[in-house]
Amino acid sequence: MFLETLKLALRAIRRNMLRSFLTVLGIVIGVAAVIAMVTIGNGTTAQVKSELSKLGTNMLFVRPGQFGPGRASTTARAFTDRDVEAIQTQISGLRAVSPSNRSTATAIYGGQNHSTSVTGATNDFFIAQDWDLTEGRDFLSGEERGGQAACVIGQTVKKELFGSSDPIGQQIRIGSISCPVIGILAAKGESGMGSDQDDTIVMPLKVFQRRIGGSTDISSISLSAKDGVSTSKIQADVENLLRERRKIQAGREDDFSVNDMTQLAATMTGTTTLLTGLLGAVAAVSLLVGGIGIMNIMLVSVTERTREIGIRLAIGALEGQVLTQFLVEAVTLSLLGGVTGIVLGLGLAFLGTSLMGLPFVTSPSIIFIAFAFSAAIGMVFGYFPARRAAQMNPIEALRHE
Amino acid sequence: MANIPLIEFRKVSKIYGSGEAEIRALDGVDLTIQQHEFVAIMGPSGSGKSTAMNIIGCLDVPSAGEYLFQGVATSGFGRAQLTMLRRHMLGFVFQGFNLLPRTSAIENVELPLVYRGVDAGMRRKLARDALARVGLAGRENHTTQQLSGGQQQRVAIARAIVTQPAVLLADEPTGNLDTKTSIEIMELITGLNRDQGITVIMVTHENDIAEYAKRIMRFVDGKIESDRPNPEREATHVS
Ligand SMILES: Nc1ncnc2c1ncn2[C@@H]1O[C@H](COP(=O)(O)OP(=O)(O)OP(=O)(O)O)[C@@H](O)[C@H]1O
Ligand SMILES: [Mg+2]
Repeated sequence: MFLETLKLALRAIRRNMLRSFLTVLGIVIGVAAVIAMVTIGNGTTAQVKSELSKLGTNMLFVRPGQFGPGRASTTARAFTDRDVEAIQTQISGLRAVSPSNRSTATAIYGGQNHSTSVTGATNDFFIAQDWDLTEGRDFLSGEERGGQAACVIGQTVKKELFGSSDPIGQQIRIGSISCPVIGILAAKGESGMGSDQDDTIVMPLKVFQRRIGGSTDISSISLSAKDGVSTSKIQADVENLLRERRKIQAGREDDFSVNDMTQLAATMTGTTTLLTGLLGAVAAVSLLVGGIGIMNIMLVSVTERTREIGIRLAIGALEGQVLTQFLVEAVTLSLLGGVTGIVLGLGLAFLGTSLMGLPFVTSPSIIFIAFAFSAAIGMVFGYFPARRAAQMNPIEALRHE
Repeated sequence: MANIPLIEFRKVSKIYGSGEAEIRALDGVDLTIQQHEFVAIMGPSGSGKSTAMNIIGCLDVPSAGEYLFQGVATSGFGRAQLTMLRRHMLGFVFQGFNLLPRTSAIENVELPLVYRGVDAGMRRKLARDALARVGLAGRENHTTQQLSGGQQQRVAIARAIVTQPAVLLADEPTGNLDTKTSIEIMELITGLNRDQGITVIMVTHENDIAEYAKRIMRFVDGKIESDRPNPEREATHVS
């Protein structure tokens, strides 16, 4: 008997092709939208996380001001050379202490000019960033102490200014200074935020402060811990030291921050989770719209279906048989729509993530939720009007206008 | 057995609306119909013929009074029992056909067999036969919309007789048919009554159609005005 009911239901679906199609379409749109959006959002989060983890786990970033989800960075005093010295001499367990400052400037060589990011740093920068040179050398101690300008350039700058010719030993102009190229950085590619990390020039911090920054400010200090040394211990030590040096009274908040990678990651992924949530919300609206579409079609067809139910009851169908048929119909349409929606959604997500170069991260829970929601709508609006009709007198159902 | 009537109305009333707007579609009707009878119900429009048929067919329930089927009061029946009665005992031809839309003739005719649990092969065969008997051989796969009014009516008749019901209830079965087809259908119904002993209750407006029946009732304003045997046909029936 169940097989018969199944056949009756399938026949009813085929007989009402347009209605069935529109119902399925409603479900497909809702499910596909949610899955595509959330999967792309997840991909973004995963991308950011993996970029951040590449930076290493034994690092600390010291910056003026406070950062974090839900709080704007506050302007605060920059660090000084003496802060850096204090960290170098008073904190133990450090492999590298890399103060740096950053600005953008136009670099000129021959007829070419190229606007790029200029970082003032020490040799520890290359250690802390785990960034090798492919050619040339890093700064001599004389250069670091502020004698002459010297530049290490990234791959993008090399390509833009020098094309295929050898840059080592050539003089480039950056703002008011002329600077020989002493080394070339290995290619690093795009950062998690999509900027080109190879589009950069690194010069000794002292030269930068004097000739480009115009002050002795240090805008950030990266610390790299020795293997086996706990970053949380160093974090606490650095915080205490800087509170003392910056004369922050007990009970007042720090006007600087010391973050390790996991904290930084939390901030970044917090932002991308927000993005995922936003995409999810947009998708939820399409799910809702799809749901309303299904509801509409189902309700509009109630009159005709009520008459159909009246006929079936009149010629000997039990209430339960009629309901089973309608339930099977609703389940079949929902399944069809749900599965098509999942396939389409994943397809779109795959296309989207590969176009944006993001990892493809599916989330079973969102697939399930989208599917369950649409299926529920299909069932509720397919089933409940049918149930009302099936509980009528056959003659009432037949007369239904 | 013979003294337990197949169908019995005891003071059956059907009242629609209330107060000023109250309509007594049936007003305290008493009637008995024995097994194997062939009854024609006549009467002006709105006199309660269809209402009576619907109650006999267990599609509707009386507002007052009692309807007994084979001596059993149906007021005590649950929905499932009424369904079983419809499924196994009754065949109904509606005044408005009530075929499933966008559905082929043969599927419409098969439907009561589906609910009786007849297997697919047998169903096909019986439905084909029934359609042939109402003169629709070759139209099995036409959908309801592709058939004329008269053809739809014949599909409705085929659907009612395909189960070989104990009682055939036909509300104006020839209402939309030409004289020639009407005669064919009436010959068919008469044959079912005569050869298979199916009890037939039929509503009609036409005197010459009513003449096929062995007993003719006239409804006026929800009451039975007259109820007489049809001498021409009665004579041929051996009770
Ligand atoms: N659902 C209903 N609600 C209100 N009044 C109804 C309803 N069904 C029938 N009636 C009324 O009951 C009366 C009897 O109707 P019924 O359909 O039994 O007439 P009939 O004798 O079959 O007429 P016809 O020959 O036109 O088919 C009519 O006055 C009709 O208006
Ligand atoms: Mg009528």
